[in-house]
Amino acid sequence: MEDEQEQRLAERFADILDGQATAGLSAGDIREHYPDLAGELEALSDIDRAVDPEALPERLSGHRILSVIGRGGMGRVLLAEDEALRRRVAIKMLAPQYADRPALRTRFMAEARAMARLNHPNVVRIYSLGPASEPPHFVMEHLDGVPLTRAGAALTFEQRAEMVLKVVETVHFLHGKGVIHRDLKPQNVLVGPDLEPKLLDFGLILDLGDQKRLSRPGEIAGTPEYLSPEQAAGGEALDARSDVFSLGAVLYELLTGQPPFRAAAIADLLRIIREEDPVLPRRHVPEIPRALQNVCLKALEKDPARRYASAADMAGDLRRYLAGEAVYAEPAAYSRLIAGKVGEHLRELEGWRRDQIVSEAEYDGLRRRYDRLLERDDAWIMEARRLTLPQVTLYLGAWVLAVGAALLTFFRYPALAGSPAVLTAWAAALPAGWIGFDSWRRERHRVAVAWLLAFCLLAPIATLVTLEEFHLFTGLTMGQARLELFHRLHVAKQATNAQLWWSILAGIPVCWWIRRFTGASVFTLLSAVFGALLALATLVRMGMLDWLENDPGRIYFRLIPCAAIFMTAGLLLERRGRTDDSRYFYPFAVAFTWAALSGLAAFHEPYARWLKGVAPWTRGQLEYLFILNAGVYFLLDRACDRMGSGQVRMVGKSFRFVIPGHVMTSLLLLGVDAQTPAETKLLAWLLPAAACVFVFASIPRQMKNFFATGLLFFAIGVARLQHEVFHDRAVWPVLLLAAGLSLMAAAANYAALRVNLTRAVKALWR
Amino acid sequence: MENPTSTFALLEHARAGDPQALSAAFEKHRRRLAVLIHYKLSPQARHGAEVEDLVQETLLRGFRDIGRFHYQSPGSLLRWLSSIADHVIVDRLRYQGRDRRAGQQVPFRSASNPNGPEPTDSATPSRLFAQQEAVERLLARLDRLPEDYRQAILMTKIEGLSTAEMAQRTGRSREAAALLVYRAVKRFRAISDASEP
Repeated sequence: MEDEQEQRLAERFADILDGQATAGLSAGDIREHYPDLAGELEALSDIDRAVDPEALPERLSGHRILSVIGRGGMGRVLLAEDEALRRRVAIKMLAPQYADRPALRTRFMAEARAMARLNHPNVVRIYSLGPASEPPHFVMEHLDGVPLTRAGAALTFEQRAEMVLKVVETVHFLHGKGVIHRDLKPQNVLVGPDLEPKLLDFGLILDLGDQKRLSRPGEIAGTPEYLSPEQAAGGEALDARSDVFSLGAVLYELLTGQPPFRAAAIADLLRIIREEDPVLPRRHVPEIPRALQNVCLKALEKDPARRYASAADMAGDLRRYLAGEAVYAEPAAYSRLIAGKVGEHLRELEGWRRDQIVSEAEYDGLRRRYDRLLERDDAWIMEARRLTLPQVTLYLGAWVLAVGAALLTFFRYPALAGSPAVLTAWAAALPAGWIGFDSWRRERHRVAVAWLLAFCLLAPIATLVTLEEFHLFTGLTMGQARLELFHRLHVAKQATNAQLWWSILAGIPVCWWIRRFTGASVFTLLSAVFGALLALATLVRMGMLDWLENDPGRIYFRLIPCAAIFMTAGLLLERRGRTDDSRYFYPFAVAFTWAALSGLAAFHEPYARWLKGVAPWTRGQLEYLFILNAGVYFLLDRACDRMGSGQVRMVGKSFRFVIPGHVMTSLLLLGVDAQTPAETKLLAWLLPAAACVFVFASIPRQMKNFFATGLLFFAIGVARLQHEVFHDRAVWPVLLLAAGLSLMAAAANYAALRVNLTRAVKALWR
Repeated sequence: MENPTSTFALLEHARAGDPQALSAAFEKHRRRLAVLIHYKLSPQARHGAEVEDLVQETLLRGFRDIGRFHYQSPGSLLRWLSSIADHVIVDRLRYQGRDRRAGQQVPFRSASNPNGPEPTDSATPSRLFAQQEAVERLLARLDRLPEDYRQAILMTKIEGLSTAEMAQRTGRSREAAALLVYRAVKRFRAISDASEP
């Protein structure tokens, strides 16, 4: 009887041992079902606990352990039940083999204390710390959710941005408490059915307040895919921007479905995180809004200084995206992307030039366009790669501001007479400047440049209003009202030339200083514009209005020094390596030169008289003067070529460019205007001849406009010859046809012809 | 859902080229293997260092030969390791005095091979003994059992055989095997209760 019962118990025991009777039952359940075997089953658990490093305790802090729901480097997270409250909890347990390592225990306790301190709806809550008699653990809120990326897969980009925004705000909250998370990754953000993300796993937090590292220095802590470059490099002091990087990586994965950096081996991964830019999110998923891509790339910048300065800044941009506003982020990754590719192209281009696949001129042209592509890293709207509604509106606003302020300088308003006008002008100028500088400091460069440009325009205007209203510099030019510019404009307010001059002068140092402060080259352009205006204002103060009526040639004569000044300024700046500044001065030099030389030829009487004296047969005709100018341009071009620098060569090219037009138009007009038959005939032949010269002159400097203009004027010359020399003579068209045919035939057999000609010449020589 | 740290999953990861997974799989079985080897040795040879040495060597061979292992059931890795341990012990007896180690052919992680598996025991010669006390206590209790009881517990509880397999190995009926195991555990419990303070 006893034997039978023992056999039955043994059978049941064997069944339990083999797992047949226990499927789906916990150890506690089994014991309840088989009270007769309780002691024996307890003994089995004893054996398991002794040999199985992963054996679970049955209870912790009075909670019944149900299963393992996660594990990390330091231990496991268990699902447990508070039987009294019938509530599920999560218990984080330090792995038993680490329980006696003081450093890890300290870190574990720090995690629990940090969680207790962080009372936030999006941070998982801690309930209690385990008693000293049990293995180290703490009890926390059990979250019924899925990792952020899994939750995000089915959502719109707006909803994903909203979720990330909550995470970013929560991280900012941590930073406010002096804590860096250091292990932000999608798996550490659980999202419940209400789409509320909750941050968990504070095992790697760095407490900035205590300046206490919870991991050994130099040790790499965190999940490798989401490490920041400074974490991957190890050793460097970390700050909040390290978390910003990880947030960027989380956003990247949420947008594209994959982490930004991947590699098979961890050493490769760390190197990639430190050195390589991530693939643009839109390359993975073209539907990703550009604004979100900007936010993501800005957070993922390698250099912490280029990232968002704080999680709050990142949250600001995400909020702007959600509100449909433009985000502030301007990732430097784009320029690096372009620069990298352009660098490759330039090396290739260099090779093509060496192998003479492209001509020097073509090489120069391409090179210049590539350089422009790289330089376009300016915050100014004209250098922006794309126009956007907010940006265009911003500039329109700045322009309205400037134009509105300009009205104050021209017209008198009874309600705004005297100091109120001055106050109004400065009330527009000073805040614009202040907002500009402030935005620049906050790295909102695009916005800042618009405000600063407005300030640069408003500053001289406000100065002028001040001078007008306070009656400063009221002296008339040479004491004559008729020499005053504003007096001629018949407007209510009549600023003197002196006031105008001083106001413009005041604008130049402002622009120049802002150029130094921001490094934005648009302010150089503005200084050059102010410089040109100042030059003209100086001429006005020298009595230009008088010359305009009596001797316009003098105006143009005095433009020559202006051109020289701008040229010199450009050269000096370029010599100092400031090519970004010099390139705005040369165009003014060229424009002044063109205006001066053309004006001299057209209006300057001494010039014409001199020519008449030197060469009476020209009768001082202005066409000859233009041909003379063409010669001057040629010399200038040669001089510029001597200088050797790229920008000056371009100046030379712009002089060279106008030569054929000057020469051939003059020849044509001279021919039409010729006074003797011989002169008519000579000029009629000279025009097509000159045209042919220019056609061939296109070769040495690769001037395509020489070629095109030459062809055009050749046709005109042929018509002139037909009219003046070969009137009604059939030989002329026949001759032309024969000449055309032979030229083409000769050109098509150029090589053979050349060989034969050389032989013939050599034979004759002997 | 597949538990990512089950032996099967770890072995799959190991096959997919993750050497750390194999380390983890072996680590899980380390203590059981140590207990098995302890009782495979003659009582004179059963001292900690020797057992630890043999565990190490067995795991090294396991690393080397993992390609030949075929997963059948949750216990099959341990049984396979146990059979390797038999060879290791026999070899040890045969080549006593000569230091021939299979482990030298295994590409462990080192400066020149940073992706190799972690040496099974990089930190201390006995991570096993982080819970040394518990194992020692278990061994002490098993020592006090009669040989057939001890073997029954070793086979079913440590090596992980089912009672049917154990019956087959020992040439008993399943009923007899079940009774043997039951009595063995009952005695073990009595010894435990007696030694408990």
